[in-house]
Amino acid sequence: MKKKDYNIFELMAIVAAREIEDRAIIYIGTGIPMLAASLAQNMHAPNIVPVFEAGGIAPQMPTLPLSVGCSRTTYRAIRTCDMPEIFEMAQLGIAHYGFLGGAQVDQYGNLNSTVKGEYNAPKVRWPGSGGANAFGSLCWRTMIIINHEKRRLVEKVDFITTPGYIDGPGAREREGLPPGTGPYRVFTDKALLDFEEKTKRMRLIGLLPGVTLEDVIENTGFELLISDTLKKVPPPTREELKVLREKVDPHRIVLSRGDKET
Amino acid sequence: MGKKVIEILEEGSGEIFSKITPNEFREHMREKVKNAWRDKRTDIKTAIRQFVHDGGYLTMGGVSFIRLSMAAVHEIIRQKKKNLNLAAGTRTYDFNLLLDAGCVKNIDCGYITGMEIFGIPYVTRKRAERMITSGEMGISEYDNASMAFRHKAAAMGIPFLPIRNMMGADGFKHSAAKKIRCPFTGEELVLVPAIYADVCIIHVHRCDIYGNSQIEGALNEDLGKSKSAKRLVITTEKIIDTEEIRLSPDRTLIPCFYVDAVVEVPHGAHPTNMPGMYYVDIDHMKGYIASARDPAGKDLEEYYQKYIYGTENFSEYLKRIGGKKKLKYLEDLEHLRVRE
Repeated sequence: MKKKDYNIFELMAIVAAREIEDRAIIYIGTGIPMLAASLAQNMHAPNIVPVFEAGGIAPQMPTLPLSVGCSRTTYRAIRTCDMPEIFEMAQLGIAHYGFLGGAQVDQYGNLNSTVKGEYNAPKVRWPGSGGANAFGSLCWRTMIIINHEKRRLVEKVDFITTPGYIDGPGAREREGLPPGTGPYRVFTDKALLDFEEKTKRMRLIGLLPGVTLEDVIENTGFELLISDTLKKVPPPTREELKVLREKVDPHRIVLSRGDKET
Repeated sequence: MGKKVIEILEEGSGEIFSKITPNEFREHMREKVKNAWRDKRTDIKTAIRQFVHDGGYLTMGGVSFIRLSMAAVHEIIRQKKKNLNLAAGTRTYDFNLLLDAGCVKNIDCGYITGMEIFGIPYVTRKRAERMITSGEMGISEYDNASMAFRHKAAAMGIPFLPIRNMMGADGFKHSAAKKIRCPFTGEELVLVPAIYADVCIIHVHRCDIYGNSQIEGALNEDLGKSKSAKRLVITTEKIIDTEEIRLSPDRTLIPCFYVDAVVEVPHGAHPTNMPGMYYVDIDHMKGYIASARDPAGKDLEEYYQKYIYGTENFSEYLKRIGGKKKLKYLEDLEHLRVRE
């Protein structure tokens, strides 16, 4: 498909969905994470277990949920419960993936969704952590979705709402977070990124259709590592777009917001 | 031999807005539960007047814009309650209304102002920023999980719970949590203080006259909240016979001895979602968010005037939002019989 045939939300959801493996237990935040998980569930990963923090476990979402607690998150679920149970599961090691957005992210995958500027005198006060801090602390692998802009991919986040690798290798463990956890992938509207094993710094591993390396570097607020095997991410297929538009978000509740930004 | 102590490695500077009083709470509950089988039916005006007090600590059930006790929120606003301390994990529409109405003094923040998919109401966000900057509103920083565990700790009758998140996050520094070394494993743990609230309000699907309550859908923090507040007000879609409760006791999530008041308010969660009954009023929510875009705040003021200050009670409100026709549509939407 050519670029003009899809918007950036559709593209990000599709690229992210491809990374979700079948049978994974996946904790899902509002918005594009819901699109990606639902798309994966309707394509190659029918046996994933979507989990919503308010208490929905393994629903078969009939339409896109508007919230992490709305009735679409418990539709034909296998269980409904309360929030402590959901996060106890994550503490137990049951949560393979946590799937999040944020307002800022830095090279170590630290996420900010709390404030721009000073905590006690914010330029902007965002909603705060919500479920994010616990997702990013307790899930084995954290997947992050964010628009690729210099003001979002920053050298240093104004506030660590959700710790990534904090300031480098070993920092999470030193702080007392469960070992072996941390950011795994970052999905933007320009790139696919991971975290380099030794330095735990964000690394460019794929360019989205029509995007150049210069374009990515120019829109990133820190020095990116670049993979030796940098690949071109294949564009959305007809099938992916069809399922996303007809089954996942038929009323374009979230998808329509991508129209504005494309 | 030297005294063995549990080492506190780090602690946040955030204030605790609710007193940690497990023993006092025990005494309170010992007396309160004697009223288990009292007929607790009342009206919302009386319940709010009787149980929500200026300066008290309030925690509300439901999550985001799902199963919020909107009839109670409206009445708190109409009665002009002041200086409330608020548990603000997973809060959206209810928090925004109380903040804009000037009811809020301090918050334990997990998630505020954002309306998830609908975005953040501009005027309310600006107000929150102003109140935080001026110190007019006190704020301690948590996240949804730690807030849920704080309620759960109180419901367990203990002063705190150890958890495994919040480490390495700036929120920790602005919370009242403490990091310790675990006396069993030697690993680091975060302790979060229990929230013993003065009053909790929860909207449920059905209950009997004593308050035995059944809820459908995601429970969020409600099991913990319902059991850890001195006073619990249940608003309910429907009052049913105790015999019906006894037919499905496994569905009862809040037993009557925690409950102080029962108020029947059909559609009492509108414009939020009541799982299994009616869906989010999407158009209403979009209209509300749009009204908050006017930076002068006039449109939002009009919204509040029309739906809260200008209505005497919730049935009048329900007429204003479109009455029976709208409510029928929201039922159909919930059951996927019509398109969003």
